[in-house]
Amino acid sequence: MENYLQYVADSAAFILEGSVLTLQLYAVTIIFAIPLGIMLALMKISKYQSLRYLLTFYTWVFRGTPLLLQLFFTYYGLSIIGINLQPFTAAALTFVINYSAYLTEIYRAGIESIDKGQYEAARALNMDYFQTMRRIILPQVVRRTIPPTCNEAITLVKDTALVVVIGMGDLLRSAKELFSRDFAITPFAIAAVIYLLMTTVIVYFFRKLEDKYSIYE
Amino acid sequence: MNNTDPDMKMIQALNITKSFGAHTVLDNVTLEVKKGEVIAIIGPSGSGKSTLLRCFNGLEEIDSGRIIIEGDIFSEKDEKHHKDKISARAKREIAKKLGMVFQHFNLFPHMTVLGNVAEAPVTVLGQKKSDVIKNALMILDKVGLLDKKDAYPSKISGGQKQRVAIARALGMNPDIMLFDEPTSALDPELIGEVQKVISDLAKEKMTMLIVTHEMRFAGEVADRIIFMDEGKIIEDAKPADLFNNPEHPRIKTFIDKISRRDAE
Ligand SMILES: Nc1ncnc2c1ncn2[C@@H]1O[C@H](COP(=O)(O)OP(=O)(O)OP(=O)(O)O)[C@@H](O)[C@H]1O
Ligand SMILES: [Mg+2]
Repeated sequence: MENYLQYVADSAAFILEGSVLTLQLYAVTIIFAIPLGIMLALMKISKYQSLRYLLTFYTWVFRGTPLLLQLFFTYYGLSIIGINLQPFTAAALTFVINYSAYLTEIYRAGIESIDKGQYEAARALNMDYFQTMRRIILPQVVRRTIPPTCNEAITLVKDTALVVVIGMGDLLRSAKELFSRDFAITPFAIAAVIYLLMTTVIVYFFRKLEDKYSIYE
Repeated sequence: MNNTDPDMKMIQALNITKSFGAHTVLDNVTLEVKKGEVIAIIGPSGSGKSTLLRCFNGLEEIDSGRIIIEGDIFSEKDEKHHKDKISARAKREIAKKLGMVFQHFNLFPHMTVLGNVAEAPVTVLGQKKSDVIKNALMILDKVGLLDKKDAYPSKISGGQKQRVAIARALGMNPDIMLFDEPTSALDPELIGEVQKVISDLAKEKMTMLIVTHEMRFAGEVADRIIFMDEGKIIEDAKPADLFNNPEHPRIKTFIDKISRRDAE
C-alpha cells in the first residue's frame, strides 16, 4: 500500500511536469484569443463589406475544419514551403487562430444582441464610436457572453491534448509514457484528475465573474 | 450671437425632407424654435414626429433642406450628391447643445443611476470627475432621485428610470431638450412625476420640444403646439387656439379621439 502511494506520488509529479506545457499553451491561447475575438467581432459587423466577407471566410474555414488538421497544417504543412515553426509556436498560433474564430462569432452575436436604444442613447450623449463601444456596448457584451466563453475555455483545456500529434510533451503524453512503461491504469486516472481540477478552477473563475457582473440585473 | 436675447433662434429647420425608401416621412418641414420656448408636437402615429426630433440631434439624416442650431448650420444637404456639407466632427460639436429623452429610457443597465448621469460629461466632455459627480448629484436631487444614486436601473420604477434619463441628458448641460413620448411607456400612476420634472424645466425656461399624446399636459406646458400629419406640419398654434378652434378638421377628429381614449 505504501509502495502504491509512493508510485502515485511519483507518477503525479511526472505528469504535473508535463502539464506545465499544457498550462502555458492554455494561457497564451486565452490571453490572445479573447481580445482578438472581440476585435474581429467588431470588424465583422463594421461597414466595410470586404472586411466582413474576409472574416466570414475566416470563421467558416477555422470552425469548419478539425483543429487537428489545422495543427498538422501549421506544423508539417508550412515546413514544406520552408516555414519551420517550433512545436510550441505552431501550436500556440493554431490555437489562437482557431479559438478566435469561435470567439469572434460568440462576441458578434453578443454585440448584435444589444438593444439599438443603447447606441442611440450614447449617440444622443455625443459619444463617438470608440467611447460607445468601450463604455456602453462591450461591458454589456462581456457580461452576456460569459457562459459561452466559459464553454470555450473548458473545451480548450481538453483540446490542448492534441499537441501530442506534433510531438510535444504535455500532460497526457506524460501519462501515456508512464502507462507504456508500467502497464498500469493509475497514470490515466491521475491525468483525469488533473484535467478535472483545471476545469473546476475555470468554472469557478467564470462563476465568480458572472456574480460580479450580475449585480446590475 | 447674444445668449440672453429672448428672440434668439435655437432651432431653425428650413424645408427639410426625409424619406425611408419611397416613403416620405418629412415633407418640406419648416419650423423655428425660440429660446425658452416649449413646443409640444402631436399627431397620429407614423406622421413623422419622432423622425423630426431625431433629425435635430443627428440620429437621422435629412435628405434635403437645412437645420440651424443656435445660428450654426448643423445639417445641410447638397441636393445633387445627397452629402451633408457639415463634417461629422462639427456636427458632434453642435449636437452637444441638445439633450434627448426616449420613450423607452435607454438607460445604461450596467451603470448605477449616478454612473448613468456622470458617464458622458467625463468621457465626452473630459470634465474632472469630482466636479461631474458634484453636478450629477445636484441634478439627481433636482429630479428627486438622490436616494437612488447607487441603484442600478433594473431596480427602479419606470417613472424613476425616465427621471434618471432626463437627469442624464441634463448632465451634459444642454440648451435644448428633446423628448420623444417621455411618458408613453409608463403606468398611468407614474406619468405625473415625470411630467412634473418637465414642467419644472419649463419654469426654468429650458427650450424644449416634446412629442406627446398627453393633450392635457401639452396644453399646460407648451407655448405652442404643432400638429403633424403625413410628414407635414399642418398647424402650429397656441394651445388654446389649437384645441378650441383648429383650422384643420383633421385636428379636431384627432383630439376628440385621443380625449375619448383617455376618458375610457
Ligand atoms: N428607420 C426607419 N426605416 C424605415 N422606416 C422608418 C424608419 N423610422 C421610421 N420609419 C417610418 O417613418 C414613418 C414615421 O415614423 P415616426 O417614428 O417619425 O412617426 P411618429 O409620428 O413618431 O409615430 P409614433 O406616434 O407611432 O411614434 C413611419 O411610417 C415609420 O414606419
Ligand atoms: Mg414616435
